[in-house]
Amino acid sequence: MDFSFSSDQQLLKNSARGFLDEHVKPATVRLLWDDPRGESDTLWKEIAQLGWLGLSLPEAHGGSGLGMVETALLLEEMGRAAYPGPYWPTVLAATAIELAGAEAQKKRWLPAVATGDARATIAFLDTELDWRPEAAQTRAEKTGKGWTLSGRKRFVPWAHVADVLLVPAQTPDGLTLFLVDPRAAGLALEPVPVMDLATRLVDVTLDRAPVAADALLGGPGQAGPLLAALLRRGAVGAAAEMLGAARRCLDMAVGYAKVREQFGQPIGSFQAIRHKCAEMLLEAENSHSAVYYAAWALDAKAEDAELAASVAKAYVGDAARKVCGEAIQVHGGIGFTWEYDLHLYFKRAKALESMYGDGDYHREAILRRVAA
Amino acid sequence: MDLNPTAEDRAFRTEVRRWLETNAATGDVKTLDERKAWHRKLYEAGYVGMLWPKEYGGWGRTPMQQAIVQDEMARLGAPPPINGLGIGFIGPTIIVHGTDWQKQRYLKKMLTAEEIWCQLYSEPNAGSDLASLKTRAEDQGDHFLVNGQKIWTSSGPIADWGILLARTDGKAAKHKGISCVLLHMRQPGVEVRPLRQITGSSLFSEVFMTNARAERRDLIGNLNQGWEIAQTTLGWERGANSLGRVTRYAVAFNQLVRATKELRRGGKPLLEDAAVRARLGKAYAELEVQRYAALRVLSALQNSDSPGAASSITKLSYTEFEKRYFELALEILGPYGQLVSAREEFEDIDTSSGEPGTWATAFLWSRAGTIYSGSSEIQKNIIGERVLGLPKEVRADRLKA
Ligand SMILES: Cc1cc2nc3c(=O)[nH]c(=O)nc-3n(C[C@H](O)[C@H](O)[C@H](O)COP(=O)(O)OP(=O)(O)OC[C@H]3O[C@@H](n4cnc5c(N)ncnc54)[C@H](O)[C@@H]3O)c2cc1C
Repeated sequence: MDFSFSSDQQLLKNSARGFLDEHVKPATVRLLWDDPRGESDTLWKEIAQLGWLGLSLPEAHGGSGLGMVETALLLEEMGRAAYPGPYWPTVLAATAIELAGAEAQKKRWLPAVATGDARATIAFLDTELDWRPEAAQTRAEKTGKGWTLSGRKRFVPWAHVADVLLVPAQTPDGLTLFLVDPRAAGLALEPVPVMDLATRLVDVTLDRAPVAADALLGGPGQAGPLLAALLRRGAVGAAAEMLGAARRCLDMAVGYAKVREQFGQPIGSFQAIRHKCAEMLLEAENSHSAVYYAAWALDAKAEDAELAASVAKAYVGDAARKVCGEAIQVHGGIGFTWEYDLHLYFKRAKALESMYGDGDYHREAILRRVAA
Repeated sequence: MDLNPTAEDRAFRTEVRRWLETNAATGDVKTLDERKAWHRKLYEAGYVGMLWPKEYGGWGRTPMQQAIVQDEMARLGAPPPINGLGIGFIGPTIIVHGTDWQKQRYLKKMLTAEEIWCQLYSEPNAGSDLASLKTRAEDQGDHFLVNGQKIWTSSGPIADWGILLARTDGKAAKHKGISCVLLHMRQPGVEVRPLRQITGSSLFSEVFMTNARAERRDLIGNLNQGWEIAQTTLGWERGANSLGRVTRYAVAFNQLVRATKELRRGGKPLLEDAAVRARLGKAYAELEVQRYAALRVLSALQNSDSPGAASSITKLSYTEFEKRYFELALEILGPYGQLVSAREEFEDIDTSSGEPGTWATAFLWSRAGTIYSGSSEIQKNIIGERVLGLPKEVRADRLKA
């Protein structure tokens, strides 16, 4: 039993930190706020070159075949940098294609994702905002040549830059997953402005949008378990990113508490502040345990992998919100300003809290497993 | 990262489970003699003193193996061994700082619970600020004359020996004039008065020492080195204990779920109430995270990274969780949570305190963990100063020093 990172894993983490510190500074993030796409193609190509996009994809398709632990290490560092871009939606969608795709679909998309030539995303939510895959209301009707999809997908991350959209829809056979070209006829994309300006969410309306017969990902009626698995994986990744955001806020709070003086002494010498910082560290450490246990459990196909994913998402969602919020409190007025960087991470944590199943969804998922 | 147990640890777990299933005391283990007999059996099976070196009667096992034993005992609800303070830290203190004579004389009998030990540290006016203690031990050549009062002494009423911190130099700075010496509890100069706890039982006590005698040969380390000695072994095996605790919480969780199936509100079982479900789900998430954290500490111990001040985070985390957890259980159980003797549908639960009882007992006991072994506030001070490197607080005693 060993809970520590291997030296390769540690190396990956360090090099990710180094790269992001240099190339994704808070100023970089701020510059992209006003960009209509919200991300930088140069940065995308750079992280492709670093091998991050193909990190977890199979070697046969241009990836490195590493696992969720390594992916979580990267995502933690990205959360720490408030990285702006469609990294996680793309990798998650690529995982879906890897898991369920036909050989031709894998050949078409996986190498392109690994080289940074394609972006992708999954449209989990319908209008009812119910995370249970079976709650999808979008419908697919069979036509002579293929299918038409109708419905409204809400809050789809980075759909406006995606080259392919994974859309779950109900068919007579049950829930089915389709690969959809976001620029096809019958689709309307509408960005939804949210408080984290570096997280881009898009509403996608499908009005009898035609898709080809070979656009099914996996068999008809087979999407339920696949989507549930993707949601869990997505949840662990989001938890890792929230952990990174929380770590950054903790570091900033502790750093500030050491130098800011009031009443003739550093504010960190006041117990009210010091104890807050201690509680924040406790939450960050527990979140670390939760994230990496869950990531390992997915890689190892452990018996409790599904439980652990929900535990990580539910726990870290609460913990990161608390840590980032308390960091603002420790800073006082400066923490409430637009110019100070704390809100980058505070908002990122909050944005992810509601994605890939919110706390309520995962708490219920936990209880269904342990209180049958 | 590989969180799978090794083949060796898996085999060990099977062996422990089998042993416990055959040997676990089925009847009552209540009286001291019954508990000593059970303890002895556990010791002979190799499940007590697991981390102690073999040369002192221990078993030279790993923290993981000790955790496995505690975990399996919690799963079965087997009564824990006794002499916990002795085996957990007084013995290790003697192993690290004691003389050969002391090791020969005390260790084996401590392991077998032939002699019960207590910790004579806290005083009425020296709790968190332990170094301000006033009990005096006067150097009389071959012995010390001890006068003063200790308080909150766990196992005091049943103890044969105690490890004592007392002032041997009244003129030195407060941390410098303290010595550590072993005190025989069964002597005329030592009077133990049981104190009743909020649970109704009297597991701790006051100890009055009036011209009590401690032998010179029982001095641990050097004269006036007591503070240093006390620091090195506090929390010796804190990390390895948490897995078993978490398993006790998990066993209690299953009992709580059973109760929510029996209890009804609005014509349906409580377990179907959305608000109850949400809170149970949250509690379970926290419980699991405590388990992952316990594994992480065990892994650090295994890799011999001493958890050091980081063990303060673990202790703070599980003791604070335990309070929230039993608060929730009692809220859900309503009036049933207050029962002091079990009824069928709300079984006795394993309170993780060594005192068996009901939900109410567990709820009451959960208040203790954040006070003893360094209160939560003290842990946060330690984390702030030693882990995060925040500036020390301005304190009157430091200004004077
Ligand atoms: C069940 C139980 C068993 C025990 N068993 C033993 C035993 O066997 N042997 C033994 O020697 N002792 C034992 N103790 C005593 C225990 O170690 C002390 O209670 C503990 O050290 C706190 O001291 P105190 O009770 O004097 O409280 P105080 O130190 O007076 O603390 C009161 C409050 O003030 C807070 N406080 C104190 N100092 C600070 C500070 N610097 N910053 C912020 N807050 C502060 C505390 O956190 C607490 O909330 C036991 C206690 C309990 C509850």
